[in-house]
Amino acid sequence: MEEQIKEWPEPFSTTGNKTSTFDNLRDQVNAWLKEGRVDIFLGYKMVQGHPLPHCFTKENPDEADELIVGKARYSLEKMAANIAAQHPEIKIGLLVRDCNQRALNVLYVWNQLNPDHVETININCCPSRLKEHGDCSYLEPQRTGSYKKEVGIDNNMDVEDAEEFSQEERFNRWIYEFEKCIKCYGCRNICPVCFCQECSLEHNDLIATGTVPPEVPIFHLVRAVHMAGRCIDCGLCEDACPVDIPLRLLYRKVNQVVSDMFDYKTGMRADQSPFNILGDEVTLEPKPI
Amino acid sequence: MGDCHYLYGNYMTIKRMTFLQEILKFMGLGGRLHLDWISSAEAQKFVQVVTDFTEKIKSLGPSPLSGELDLTVVEEKCQTIVEAESVEEG
Repeated sequence: MEEQIKEWPEPFSTTGNKTSTFDNLRDQVNAWLKEGRVDIFLGYKMVQGHPLPHCFTKENPDEADELIVGKARYSLEKMAANIAAQHPEIKIGLLVRDCNQRALNVLYVWNQLNPDHVETININCCPSRLKEHGDCSYLEPQRTGSYKKEVGIDNNMDVEDAEEFSQEERFNRWIYEFEKCIKCYGCRNICPVCFCQECSLEHNDLIATGTVPPEVPIFHLVRAVHMAGRCIDCGLCEDACPVDIPLRLLYRKVNQVVSDMFDYKTGMRADQSPFNILGDEVTLEPKPI
Repeated sequence: MGDCHYLYGNYMTIKRMTFLQEILKFMGLGGRLHLDWISSAEAQKFVQVVTDFTEKIKSLGPSPLSGELDLTVVEEKCQTIVEAESVEEG
């Protein structure tokens, strides 16, 4: 895999006139660690054939030679936030794609990370016909089986298409999806913007813990409500979901409502979502019965 | 708006309620949640709103979430698809 990577075109600005992009990336990380621009660098490393997130440290800067970039995606920014919670002064460098960058913005807004302590290196991700490839596990949509198309929700659907079903059909389709849930908490655990120390989804008075399946649809709707103004549409939850629930679609709708109601674009703004602000600028009126 | 006993309580409430109404509608439970501003001096309005909403809820019928979930439709469709696929495969 590394051989193949070395032939890739240059995704970021380079300092030297080396031929291999990958060497430049590694040199840059190495230099950052050596000169103390960052204390640690979060990237990926091949471990026994698996690209896994790895923390490169200034104690061992030459390890940066093993840094790789591929399709693997993890919430590096979530790891950064966890590390920063333990060591507030540590300077963290990390590889970012577009989705990571949006997540970082949300974490800055919610005071989970200090932007002054974070350095990023952008890597190639978003698909374009002009590019040979994109580095993202989400680029090729999964094919949806005929059964799921018939009774459930196609994960590749747009919000508008999902709204075209009749009310009863929508309900049945969503319940079919939610009922598959095995309550693994994978969606929450991978989510880069889920940082609460106490989670409603594990609160005995709100959602019964220790029973499977979870209460449908409360479990999923509670998470959906918490994603309003936070979800940055990275799709990691859907990647992580073992039963293929179209979470990304649900959270897209949630954010669409926030965008329509409050003109708030998650991940692009430097202020917190209007759900948490007491300001009186709402012009909403109660809907008629 | 702004007349709330808890100062900004209704500003926060309307955001949440409007949002929740949209989400419930999206997943097929629309029309079952209602918000209105009624002061403690508006007994008649209270009666009117409660009566109207009760009528609406009655006309919607029982919530699909009450009782056992009915998945017979799903089962039937599943059966049709399994049959259709077995025919295709010969």
